[in-house]
Amino acid sequence: MKFRSLIFKNIFRNKSRSALTVFGIAIGVAAVIGLGLLTEGLPSSAQNALTAGAADFSVIAKTTNIEGAPSGPGGMGEQQLISQDYVKEIQKISGVNSAVGVLRTMTNLDNSSASNSSTTNSSSQSPTGDFRSMTSLIGIDKNSLSMDDIVITNGTVFSGENEVIIGKRAAERSGKTIGNNITISNQTFQIVGIFETGNFQDDSGIVMSLDKLQNLTGDSGKISLILVKAENGTDTSKLANTIQNKYPNELTTSTSLSGMERMNEGLNVINTAVWGISLLAILIGGIIAVITMMKAVSERTREIGVLRAIGWSKKRIIKMIIGESILLSLIAIVIGIIIGISVVEILSSTHMLPGLQPSFSVLLFLKGIVVALLLGIIGGIYPAYRASKLEPTEALRYE
Amino acid sequence: MNDLNIIEIKNLVKSYDNDKIIALNGINLEIKEGDFVSINGPSGSGKSTLLNMIGALDRADEGQITVAGVNLMKNQDFSEFRLNKIGFVFQLHNLIPNLTVHENVQTPMIELGIPDDEMEKRAIDLLRSVNLDNRLEQLPTKLSGGERQRVAIARALVNHPRIILSDEPTGALDSRMGDIILNLLREIHRKENVTLILVTHEEYVAQSADRIINMMDGKIIN
Repeated sequence: MKFRSLIFKNIFRNKSRSALTVFGIAIGVAAVIGLGLLTEGLPSSAQNALTAGAADFSVIAKTTNIEGAPSGPGGMGEQQLISQDYVKEIQKISGVNSAVGVLRTMTNLDNSSASNSSTTNSSSQSPTGDFRSMTSLIGIDKNSLSMDDIVITNGTVFSGENEVIIGKRAAERSGKTIGNNITISNQTFQIVGIFETGNFQDDSGIVMSLDKLQNLTGDSGKISLILVKAENGTDTSKLANTIQNKYPNELTTSTSLSGMERMNEGLNVINTAVWGISLLAILIGGIIAVITMMKAVSERTREIGVLRAIGWSKKRIIKMIIGESILLSLIAIVIGIIIGISVVEILSSTHMLPGLQPSFSVLLFLKGIVVALLLGIIGGIYPAYRASKLEPTEALRYE
Repeated sequence: MNDLNIIEIKNLVKSYDNDKIIALNGINLEIKEGDFVSINGPSGSGKSTLLNMIGALDRADEGQITVAGVNLMKNQDFSEFRLNKIGFVFQLHNLIPNLTVHENVQTPMIELGIPDDEMEKRAIDLLRSVNLDNRLEQLPTKLSGGERQRVAIARALVNHPRIILSDEPTGALDSRMGDIILNLLREIHRKENVTLILVTHEEYVAQSADRIINMMDGKIIN
């Protein structure tokens, strides 16, 4: 009979107690695996949510007056426009998936004027509604709205020359809705859709075709910025540098780092909380493992005395008990992983975790395995030590 | 039998519970290799304690004890000594309940690292010698008291010990089965030329030995 056969037989002696030990360790493994699957997927889920369809960075003018554009009374401060020709050039750069030109300006619709750095104000009364103070005007190609995080929640995208879509907040504040008209710089536009971006300022604004806004502001062939989306697998930082290096005096790039940083800070908090929960589960699992192994050893005190009497060394007794713990841990690893994955899959399939994408990684499973083995070994060490310290006569007297 | 002492004990003292119970009170004893000795006495006379001292299951407080050339007063673990020199047969057989008959007999050999097939062959040969080769795959719970004791005897012999220590081997058996076990031990002693020390409180069992040591209150009285 092999020593390992004896260990294997021993764990099936008291099936309910072994099952309890396995359960305890499996809780720890399932917690590490399950919570790990979710938290490791959090960064990509959050990043996807932040960047789904949207540009990776924007390209703007580096210095003032690069186009020699005159400054006008802009409501939100002056901005430098760049030539729309840059869009085509940037589109050709390797690694660029798409580049979209956007003209942004501000207008006071109470005075019915559109203004930007290159636009001289013209006024007319707004026929209805209250847009109050300054309103964003965004000119962009209708097929590239997603590049600017614009999602139409109601109605359709503008198609005719005199059609616009307005932000959800703008609609709420002005009382205007789809089908109503709005006057901007003496021109009447029909509202054909309501959009939402999640950005307070943009949601208070109005979006129309780029050509129309350029025409409205007199900035033909000019844009405020270029939204750039990199191809999959392209390093966006490197791509941004490439563009900057290509136009060192004319253009610069801007990323929404602050948003990513805030996201990372939030993820760190979540990760800490998850580790706290995992540690608690591991602790509970460990306590269960120690208690059940202690009980198993205690019930076999007399038997351990017999083994010592027939010549087994203390080392052999320790090996036997630790071996049993490790074997139970191996079973717990399988069960824990199954439980962890199943719970996450069930939660995902029932849409209880909207937007969360479980992320499977070898490292995560290694963590689960290490946790189980540590729990098994720690759970076995103390009982094994106590058993090895038993004097044979004392153990043989045990009833 | 020969003239060499396999066991030499001088002024051995063992007490328990902070000297409140004196189990052995100055034991002097010499046993020659190959002897069949019975230690007889009433309950509490110290006979089992003396047997435990000889088998290095317990440690004496004072005196000297040398068994098979090993000084058992040294402060060390004597598991190797027990493995190679001693075979134990307990009153309650003390078999491992979840192991089959032949697996129980193999347990001492695990510590020796003997190859599997040799372990199995040696166990089966021994079980054949105690007429249990038809119960190899049985669990101890399925055996009678006498059969269990025969398995325990086979286990005690598996490492070719020089001394067999048997504590009340017939104590839990009826007289017929007790006789069978006693005859088996006597036969093993004769065939294997092992030193057999048998603790008993039954006079007729004690009488079967070549030499009888009577104990009372922790002392040898004959």
